[in-house]
Amino acid sequence: MIGLEGLRELFYLLSESYKVIAPTLRDGLLVYDHVKDFESLALGYKNVEGPALYAVEKASNGYFTYTHPANSPKAFLHPPELRLMKVRRSDGALSFEMERVEKKYCFFDVRACDLSAIKILDRVFLEKNSHPDPYYKSLRERAFIVAVNCTYRTSTCFCNTMGTGPEVKGGFDLLITELEDSFLLEVGSERGEKMVSLLEKKERTEERHFEEKERKLKYLKDSIEEFFDREGLAQRLYGKMDSSHWEHIEKRCLACTSCTQVCPTCFCFDIVERNSLESDCSERIRLWDSCFSPSFATVHRFNLRQSIHSRYRQWLMHKFAYWVDQFDSFGCVGCGRCITWCPAGIDIRQEVRRLAYG
Amino acid sequence: MVENPYRLKASRIIRVIKECEGVYTFYIATEEEAQFGQYNMLYAFGRGEAPITIASKGEGYLVHTVRAVGDVTRYIDSLREGDLLYWRGPYGNRWSLEEAYGKTLLILSGGLGLAATRWVFEEAMKRPIKRLIHLYGSKDYDSLLYKYLYEEWSSKADLRAIIGTSHPQWKGKTGIITDLLRKLDIEKDSLVFICGPDPMVKACVSLLKEKGIEENRIYASLERHMKCSVGTCGHCMIGPYFVCKDGPIFRYDLIKEYFERKEV
Ligand SMILES: Cc1cc2nc3c(=O)[nH]c(=O)nc-3n(C[C@H](O)[C@H](O)[C@H](O)COP(=O)(O)OP(=O)(O)OC[C@H]3O[C@@H](n4cnc5c(N)ncnc54)[C@H](O)[C@@H]3O)c2cc1C
Ligand code: SF4
Ligand code: SF4
Ligand code: FES
Repeated sequence: MIGLEGLRELFYLLSESYKVIAPTLRDGLLVYDHVKDFESLALGYKNVEGPALYAVEKASNGYFTYTHPANSPKAFLHPPELRLMKVRRSDGALSFEMERVEKKYCFFDVRACDLSAIKILDRVFLEKNSHPDPYYKSLRERAFIVAVNCTYRTSTCFCNTMGTGPEVKGGFDLLITELEDSFLLEVGSERGEKMVSLLEKKERTEERHFEEKERKLKYLKDSIEEFFDREGLAQRLYGKMDSSHWEHIEKRCLACTSCTQVCPTCFCFDIVERNSLESDCSERIRLWDSCFSPSFATVHRFNLRQSIHSRYRQWLMHKFAYWVDQFDSFGCVGCGRCITWCPAGIDIRQEVRRLAYG
Repeated sequence: MVENPYRLKASRIIRVIKECEGVYTFYIATEEEAQFGQYNMLYAFGRGEAPITIASKGEGYLVHTVRAVGDVTRYIDSLREGDLLYWRGPYGNRWSLEEAYGKTLLILSGGLGLAATRWVFEEAMKRPIKRLIHLYGSKDYDSLLYKYLYEEWSSKADLRAIIGTSHPQWKGKTGIITDLLRKLDIEKDSLVFICGPDPMVKACVSLLKEKGIEENRIYASLERHMKCSVGTCGHCMIGPYFVCKDGPIFRYDLIKEYFERKEV
């Protein structure tokens, strides 16, 4: 159990060994960014979200009063732009310098949905991949995770529908739950244990603290409605590939790619060459890509997914059906970001519900 | 330490054959293991990579046939004997040749698709296949690949080629591959390997079904956009499958649902 001073001490302790990535305010958004001082954390603010709607406000009381930032840990573990290698040419021969990514991140404040998203990325890049990705692996192994249990929600959250939250279950080094007048601190790993042992400002946790945590989580969970049944969802969707509803979505979708960019699990990327003026050096760069982009499925200059509804179908079917076959989990954790950041206000919960159960 | 899948290796080009305008065959010196049906990613400095089938393999070398259609392939086609080729691989699965033992194996190749069936065709000649038939359709006389091998192939298998437009040097048939297939008498328990453009694959499958060959006896090698080739970039997806690692060869009944539906 720690108080606000203990939380501050923990933050600086972590800053000594890690580059701390935490929610902070930037241009009116709550985002994950490198935070150097405790005062820059977004504590005491809240995010108000809805379809194509976003605002940040001061909360009336409490600290972890927001849900999750607009971006996600994906932006650091699978960066939007990453150099894979430098290639040099001399005397007709090439030499390759493979990039080493050795940043040590501490994610200070990861919610249940995003923690599940990290576990999903682990499957995509490492566990269910016969060519594990060394770049992701390096960043992931070094990352220290301080998870936080949500005690609030926004209107776009549907983590309980996807079975990922709101309660954090495993996969963290430390776990914080905000209580009425303190923070419950739980340990999830040896690294976490070590960190806590260095902490001076801490107090004994009592049974009543755990009881309060349970109470708070149950209250929150009960307030989030279930949008659809996960059981058999993939199979239902496989049966709806020719539904006319896809075309109905096409009337609204702009194929802007926002949803895939904000999504904490969308992993698709492109590899491009970056050439310099000195013609003897070239870099191979990995860039986020999107199944909504017209070049994504191009074979011999012809895009196999010409229509926007076929691209939307690819995205939704991937998240809720194909992914299950590929990686034994859904590709959606119910964070709701794609709902908020869709300029057309397309609400994926409603689309899934209409398609599969409508 | 995990091995970096994007690391490129260098191989010396030991032989170049011009197949026709814009299509070259390269023999590259390497001891690397590979299987018929697999492909490599060939790299062009400053331009990128392209997935290219392993057209054949011999003692200490691999064979690639490359048609210049864009930046990468045009660069590769400019390479000559003695130059270095940078590549990574091999990737993907192999043809299920053993299934054809004791039976008829029918290979259907369209255009450059012959590059993807050549090696397994050559292997099949050495294996206990009861009857080996290869139908090959090409746009015109000039774009026929591997002309220098037909004599040998014809002595060991039933090779029938057809071209789109007549030519003074061409004694064979003109038309398209389905013209050959339509007339073919074939046992229902034959095994079929197909590589060609998507519409050709679809047309052939429907003819084969008329002949009583079931979809689980048909295999097709597919072509999709590929960037990583290791199941991580998402580009090659067709339904739940990644063509780069679950394919490029698919048993038709498994892929049909996605392959036949528009824009999947
Ligand atoms: C499994 C497989 C095996 C292949 N085998 C051969 C072969 O043996 N011989 C041969 O000549 N061609 C083969 N191709 C096609 C070849 O890969 C494309 O022609 C090549 O990628 C075009 O690249 P480019 O940069 O020259 O052309 P551009 O048209 O300038 O570039 C097209 C862009 O699309 C990308 N791309 C990725 N996959 C493909 C694709 N399948 N088709 C078109 N563009 C693609 C390229 O990387 C490039 O960025 C094969 C394709 C696949 C998927
Ligand atoms: S699909 Fe939407 S709700 Fe689901 S994880 Fe991605 S951004 Fe969040
Ligand atoms: S669903 Fe919305 S966010 Fe996604 S591509 Fe379409 S318009 Fe953009
Ligand atoms: S080519 Fe990247 S996933 Fe298949």
